[in-house]
Amino acid sequence: MSIQFKTITEIKKLLRENKISHVELIQETLDLINQLSDLNCFITTNDEYALRKAKDLDLSKSNTSISGIPIAHKDLFCTQGTLTTCGSKMLSNFTPPYDATVVSNLENADVINVGKTNMDEFAMGSTTETSFYKPAHNPWKKDYIPGGSSGGSAIAVAAGIVPAATGTDTGGSIRQPAALCGVTGIKPTYGRVSRWGMVAFASSLDQAGPICRTAEDCALILDKMAGFDEKDTTSLDIKAPKFSSKVNAPLGKKTIGIVKEFMTDDVPKDVATTFENSIQTLESIGCKIKTISLPNIIYSVPTYYVIAPAECSSNLSRYDGIKFGHRSKNAQDLESLYINSRTEGFGDEVKRRILIGTYVLSSGYYDAYYKKAQQVRRLIKEDFEKAFKKVDLIMTPTSPSEAFKIGSKGQNDPTQLYLEDLYTISSNLAGLPALSMPHGEINGLPIGLQLIGDYLDEETILNVANIFQKNTDFHNKKPSLEEWL
Amino acid sequence: MDNETVRTICYLSRLKIDDKYKEKIISDLDNIVEMIDKLNSVNTKKIKPLFNPLEQTSRKFEDKPLSDNKKEEFLKNAPESDKDYFIVPKVVE
Repeated sequence: MSIQFKTITEIKKLLRENKISHVELIQETLDLINQLSDLNCFITTNDEYALRKAKDLDLSKSNTSISGIPIAHKDLFCTQGTLTTCGSKMLSNFTPPYDATVVSNLENADVINVGKTNMDEFAMGSTTETSFYKPAHNPWKKDYIPGGSSGGSAIAVAAGIVPAATGTDTGGSIRQPAALCGVTGIKPTYGRVSRWGMVAFASSLDQAGPICRTAEDCALILDKMAGFDEKDTTSLDIKAPKFSSKVNAPLGKKTIGIVKEFMTDDVPKDVATTFENSIQTLESIGCKIKTISLPNIIYSVPTYYVIAPAECSSNLSRYDGIKFGHRSKNAQDLESLYINSRTEGFGDEVKRRILIGTYVLSSGYYDAYYKKAQQVRRLIKEDFEKAFKKVDLIMTPTSPSEAFKIGSKGQNDPTQLYLEDLYTISSNLAGLPALSMPHGEINGLPIGLQLIGDYLDEETILNVANIFQKNTDFHNKKPSLEEWL
Repeated sequence: MDNETVRTICYLSRLKIDDKYKEKIISDLDNIVEMIDKLNSVNTKKIKPLFNPLEQTSRKFEDKPLSDNKKEEFLKNAPESDKDYFIVPKVVE
């Protein structure tokens, strides 16, 4: 019996009923990783460790809601003793001496970490093309991008290799690849999941979350991922609820906002039609739809592309070739060691963002750009706060289009690609939770519906998403994968 | 963005841009600056900057050792080290 494309709930049932052993489950997962290696979704695999843990679990009585489930971690979560590259040459030799809190929380729940997934370098990108380890491919169509930056994680779930993977989301990096690969992913409220042991990109925006086949599975993983962590100074000291307990609750009367500013002629016809269909589906399951205005949301992209590079330039100043990471062999003194190590270790997109970040933080420009962007950020947050007095959730498309061909966008002007984040970025700026789930396809490629919730209200998002999925079939669609075998 | 500004921010970033890519980098940075300049049209008078989305100041915790001494493990990741120290090029003549 194949476990490919099975959900966590389905795999747990097979394990419980002894229809499959942990060792058989992991062996098939590792075989799938090998058979589908051309997708390039894994950077490192953990064969030996995973099989050893599977053997242990076959002999143990561990039975958490997710014990024995194969999981893949985005390669920016530190994993003790396992290479953690962040998709960069800079960290191509970095083996962390400790686990990220997300990794240890899931280890404690007895999941089986089968490997580390490909990603845009330092999570900077929305296509997985900027990886030092070569681009990853969308399982629905060869030579198409899977989205990014958590592209490898979204592919691994979409190709049915693992039922769950971790991702991180700084401007849409969980939701956009989930949308373009036809799977479900959630970015929780900022501070809900510990950032400790995540390689930092933009610390006031970064947040980790799960990518799975369904909202129900996302809730099961989030149950174990989330929670206060003393080691992360921005972790919320609030007990996380058991997300899975309310995922099947009756919906009651939910009001969902649609954003006036996003309903323009710029939205491609197919994206708009699919969105209209989802409005009807949500109405048919009892939701009320209300048009709302978020007047400053149109400034999300420029605001983000000041704040994120600024924080990136600061965070990435730690890579100097001294304590860890790439060190240039062509250095005569300390200064040239810094410059050459960084110049050789970082790729083009990372360099662009460091340079822009340094520019907006430099003397004479700080007020004009950095302070200004943080002021606009407050206006964006206040718009959301007003909106959430009138609605329970906000719905938007996840991305402005379906996946496109590798190398076809942003070559001459990087801002073309930055617009891919149009719908996702504002929830990072405001720190709000948001999920993407499949809701249709264009030219045989999936597209996503985004649900944004109020602060700490992941439960409503997951509840509505789950009921939507119980009434639709988009999340059950599978890529044929013939091109890859 | 002029050559001089790019030279300055490259130095501040401790990055070197190859001459043959300089034109492309300047054009990319110009496009990005043009995009972020759109913020100038927003009236932000009397608006306080928002540095943390939840407006929380980072929590402080007591400075005490929490785990075993992992010196050897940390030094393993160093490009060059001896048993006690990270090694860098000579900085004092």
